[in-house]
Amino acid sequence: MSAEQTVGMAQRPAEKKSTRPGIDWRGRLLDRAPFLVACLMLALIIAIYGSLQSGVFSLDELNLDTAAAMTLMLAATGQTIVLVRGGIDLSIGGMISIGTVIAATRFTDDPSTVALWSLVILALGFLIGALNGLLISLLKLQPFLVTLATWSILNGVAMIILPTDGGSVPSWWVGFASAQLVGLTSPVWMLLALLVVWWWFRATRVGIAIQATGSNEKSAFLSGVSITRVNLVTYGLSGLFAAGAALFLVTQTGAGSPTIGKDYILPSVAAAVIGGVSLFGGRGHLAGTLIGAFVLTLIGNLVFVLHVSSYWQPVASGIILLLSVLASSVAEKAARNRVQ
Amino acid sequence: MDLVTVKGLSKRYGGIVALSEATFSACAGEVHALLGENGAGKSTFIQILSGAVQHDGGSILVDGQDYRPANPDAAQALGIAAVFQELSLIPDLSVEQNIWFRHEPRTLLRTVNRAEMRRKTLALLDKYSFPALRPDQELRRLTLAERQIVEIAKGLAKDPRILILDEATSALPAREAEWLLKLTRQLATEGRLVIFISHRMAEVRAIADRLTIFRNGSTVAAHEANAVSDNEIVTQMIGRHLDRLYPERVSTATDLIALRVSNLSSGSRLTGVDFALREGEVLGVGGLQGHGQRELFQALFGATRATGAIELWGKPTSIGNPRQALTGKDGIALVPEDRRGQGLLLTKSVRENLTLSVIRRFTENGLLSRQKEAALVKEMVDFLRIKAGTPEQLAGTLSGGNQQKVIFGKMLLTQARVLLLYDPTRGVDVGTKGEIFQLMRDLAAKGYAILFHSSDMPELVHVADRVLVMRNGRIAATLEGDRISEAGILRAAMLESEAA
Repeated sequence: MSAEQTVGMAQRPAEKKSTRPGIDWRGRLLDRAPFLVACLMLALIIAIYGSLQSGVFSLDELNLDTAAAMTLMLAATGQTIVLVRGGIDLSIGGMISIGTVIAATRFTDDPSTVALWSLVILALGFLIGALNGLLISLLKLQPFLVTLATWSILNGVAMIILPTDGGSVPSWWVGFASAQLVGLTSPVWMLLALLVVWWWFRATRVGIAIQATGSNEKSAFLSGVSITRVNLVTYGLSGLFAAGAALFLVTQTGAGSPTIGKDYILPSVAAAVIGGVSLFGGRGHLAGTLIGAFVLTLIGNLVFVLHVSSYWQPVASGIILLLSVLASSVAEKAARNRVQ
Repeated sequence: MDLVTVKGLSKRYGGIVALSEATFSACAGEVHALLGENGAGKSTFIQILSGAVQHDGGSILVDGQDYRPANPDAAQALGIAAVFQELSLIPDLSVEQNIWFRHEPRTLLRTVNRAEMRRKTLALLDKYSFPALRPDQELRRLTLAERQIVEIAKGLAKDPRILILDEATSALPAREAEWLLKLTRQLATEGRLVIFISHRMAEVRAIADRLTIFRNGSTVAAHEANAVSDNEIVTQMIGRHLDRLYPERVSTATDLIALRVSNLSSGSRLTGVDFALREGEVLGVGGLQGHGQRELFQALFGATRATGAIELWGKPTSIGNPRQALTGKDGIALVPEDRRGQGLLLTKSVRENLTLSVIRRFTENGLLSRQKEAALVKEMVDFLRIKAGTPEQLAGTLSGGNQQKVIFGKMLLTQARVLLLYDPTRGVDVGTKGEIFQLMRDLAAKGYAILFHSSDMPELVHVADRVLVMRNGRIAATLEGDRISEAGILRAAMLESEAA
């Protein structure tokens, strides 16, 4: 195996790198350092949580925590795609709000109506996202500014549809989040599905093109990637996942809220960064993001069982974010020194 | 019949004419060299051919069909692939992912078929006897030379009828450059057209069947390679007689030691290096690539950690980081290897690039003095003859030679008098090369001390007062006077390996 990996090494003068093929374990470890740090954090938080509270290591707890984290996970999945492409999407906040108010005002007990409006919400999510991508490409604008603007617009529209929290969704829709299959609730199955879809998507040509564009846009363009199409798909998917997050969120709240979306904008970025996704694009995986979402959610539980003010939750989240960024920058430096 | 015929090709960027009335013709199975100074229009020409930009006027016929690719993809579909000088590779993908990017073999699930990709990679590398490459290694871990080789593999992976090599040898060490020349001939024998751009006349001589010369955005002549002399070519390239590429070597070295290095070591790449660089001296650093030259320059500039002692103008110095190394008249300034990555901010103006590291020089009471800045910038632009429309032109839009001049200007503005020049003429055209050598001589005469590395050995031979030859991270020999020759450098660089 290792002999095959190097071609024509005999022609090469003494250079250690090429005469010693085989897997570069230390390099791979350094590459994954941010992700490993996130896993470590999660393990630590679970350990503390488990020592303070009984019944933490049970299927019930897993079901509960996954349901609590799923809205953030869906939003952060879209955000991860955008971050890997080297952009950012703030408009997901507006999309989530608008999704919940449409669901809360349009869903009836009739399943076909619910199905229809769910599709409308998902399609709207994709279209608005694609519009973001188009604006960014065609007008050559900063993603931060474009999505900030669409966030504001969507937020306003959500307020017009439903000025205050309210409306309702049918109880069977709410029950979806606790529906079980072989002991696992639907959010846990969704989590697994997200991972499988991601694993597939990242290995497709489109997935690779998105990562490549985030890694080096100029090179990707010179290689023949259509940057406009990449932006369209990337932001479209982000909008789609935000719409999905809205549909899930109403199973948790049972109502619509025109302001709730903003609570997911920065946490979706934070979850990704904690999980080792680079803000500069090109690097990161969904597994890390999902771990990051768990970390952020479990901190809330931890603050609760510690019987301290709930205001400590954002403080703890911030500290964890700083630690993750520090870990990845240390690993990055170590990796760079190895190259030179 | 000709495979490619170009007539009256033109391209403007805003008010700037990059190409006008260019003509070109070449047939299958030939190696066709493009020659010309930087900014002569070669780059624009091949960018049009490869689909990266579109022409405004004129026509291109490929196989008798009108050819106007909308993007690089369309060009590749028609069998035209380019190996760019400024690389088109993705840092976060592996070598093989880069080679097959967007053309990956796929499984039934539409995902990349890794096993098939590995097999095809090894077959490709084997067919053209590529130098050692690890297919699974991430690109950002590779050296500049290795990346250039991956770029070549990527071009070949498209199995193109026309392959454009844009200064592909300039980033390669001698052995790999030689391999590339052999490869180029092999490709022509296979019936492909290779369009070859190089500033090294010897290479063009070695492999080109025909050549086309560009000047100021137009083609001035096309020749059979064996029917024209070097002198004629150079005259046509620059439009005047170039008196000489290398300035006269008048040693201006004094006895004052500007930089004394004792026992400098850094990891396994640099061990116990001792030397002294005198005021007014141009000291060359040579040897086979990868024997510690890069590490020496980085250690001196403080970009890598190193042990040992460094004395600047007689004073012991610890150089911790580039910012410290830059400071003041007694400092060190570096022209780095990768000018686009390390030396220049491409999206900033010429002015900003020049003054970035010396903002303090025109700050008064904490405020920037724009007049002072403008005066300094003008002085540098004039002194170095930087060809830019205005000082506000973006550095990324300058030709390679002019970018290099901006880096020189940036370095001179720091007022440091010990200069480290790492391959300052890489990818620079003949005319600008001459200017750079003359500049080095002038600076030496003014009392600057210059440490100079070049991957092109004749440059060391003709420009340096003394040459340090490095081998396995040590100084293997110091050549002076008549002992400085290509043979002398090679002998010193390789002696140990011969004995072993």
